[in-house]
Amino acid sequence: MIDDTQLNAWFCREVLPLELALTRFIARNWRVADDVVDIRQEVYALALNGARAGLPQQNNRYVYTIARNLLINRAKRAKIVSFDLFADFDDIDRDIDLFATHRLVEARAELRRTQAGLDGLPPRCREIVRLRKVEGLTTREAAERLGVGIDTIERQLTLGMRALVDFMLGGTGKITRTKSDRARHRSGGE
Amino acid sequence: MSSALEIEDRAARWLLRSEEPHWSKEDQAALDDWLDQSMAHKAAFWRLQHGWREADRIGALGQDEAVVRSSVRPHVRRWWNPYACAASVIAILGIGEFRAHVPERVEIARMDTPIGGSKIVPLADGSRIEMNTATTLRARTGTSREVWLDTGEAFFDVRHSNEVPFVVHAGKRTITDLGTKFSVRRDGDKVTVSVLEGKVRVDDGTSAQNDRSVIIAAGDTAIGLGTSTLIAPRSGARVEDMLAWRSGSLRFDQTTLAEAAAEFNRYNRKPIIITDAETASIRIGGTFKASNAAAFVRLLSDAYGLRVTTDPNAIKISS
Repeated sequence: MIDDTQLNAWFCREVLPLELALTRFIARNWRVADDVVDIRQEVYALALNGARAGLPQQNNRYVYTIARNLLINRAKRAKIVSFDLFADFDDIDRDIDLFATHRLVEARAELRRTQAGLDGLPPRCREIVRLRKVEGLTTREAAERLGVGIDTIERQLTLGMRALVDFMLGGTGKITRTKSDRARHRSGGE
Repeated sequence: MSSALEIEDRAARWLLRSEEPHWSKEDQAALDDWLDQSMAHKAAFWRLQHGWREADRIGALGQDEAVVRSSVRPHVRRWWNPYACAASVIAILGIGEFRAHVPERVEIARMDTPIGGSKIVPLADGSRIEMNTATTLRARTGTSREVWLDTGEAFFDVRHSNEVPFVVHAGKRTITDLGTKFSVRRDGDKVTVSVLEGKVRVDDGTSAQNDRSVIIAAGDTAIGLGTSTLIAPRSGARVEDMLAWRSGSLRFDQTTLAEAAAEFNRYNRKPIIITDAETASIRIGGTFKASNAAAFVRLLSDAYGLRVTTDPNAIKISS
């Protein structure tokens, strides 16, 4: 049995670098854009559950197979007929190779990538993230500095963190708000 | 309601709280409980934790940021010219130990995709290159941003910078980003540029003066061959058709079977060959998955009663 520490390390080292490839694979085979993050989340959970018994030998093949099977099951449940998912796979090795080609290039440029991710945040959010990461302010201290509520700081930090992490794993870094965030935003809150 | 987003939101809040000074044993126990509830919780939390830690580099940036601000060059983009800043900072503040940036070597990275492949290359400055099937390109990052498209097709989503322009070379032609998303496709000497957003300048490289350059905008397509450039303006729909490959599709509208087959053949090793001229000139429309030539061919035989024979080297279509 693999413990949480090992599982965590494996997940970050072997699975997260595939996030870009995985997201594209899901988006190409499932037309509902809003479902993509849910499906990806499910793939991660399944991958972790499976790896609990023992870490897989070939990580790319492992993640790819889980993703494909999940999509096939979803399609069946939704009664969608998709040529591509159900087609005979004449060359699964090639598909797996192609799947993994989106690993982030330029590992050395991580520092600049982080800066670029930060630049992509809305100004207010960026400032609040900066206060946290650069000046090391606590939520309370940041709230006092900017003269806003602690709720506001927390909300901006969570959105900023999620957008930044998305960007650093190869995504676009667009902030997706939850339904409650959107409702709050509409009612005039921060 | 997206449960993944809700879980991610909760995980983020947990992570932030765990960094705060008053984080107690009880709080940790509560977090562990929440994590144990579901592997999805662990996945979301570990993912954010990993990325957020990676973002600690901002702390390193931040120090230098504060220091650089006090130097005399506020508008030099630091990550394109670190040595100049480093030198001026050291001179002004006499810092003994300076946390240096990764030295800015000019490197040329070469990338390619196989037939039927594709690749997304996120660049450090936030720009993205999406490579299509059978494409080779070279990219230089450093004090300039340049890409040489040797073969194939790529889509560019550029973070605009006035100080450091983003330039794509395709044969003799040069395409300069003016704040854009655009694609460049090279078929030997023929270069096709399609603009999704913003504007680009296309130079045909035959003359030193700027009189041979054109600026095209969103919805425009420029097709260049030799010294001629044809501009097909303002058709957002046509540009979207030409960019359908980004989502793995090929879109045809009144396209001859010959052209459609040629497109499919870019993405698949087993070529589709149309044996007679009459069949080749049938016009078709529709959206197809680029990697599924078999489905395309099946539809053709059903819809047009065409004969399909498959041998190990090719798929032949005839009437």
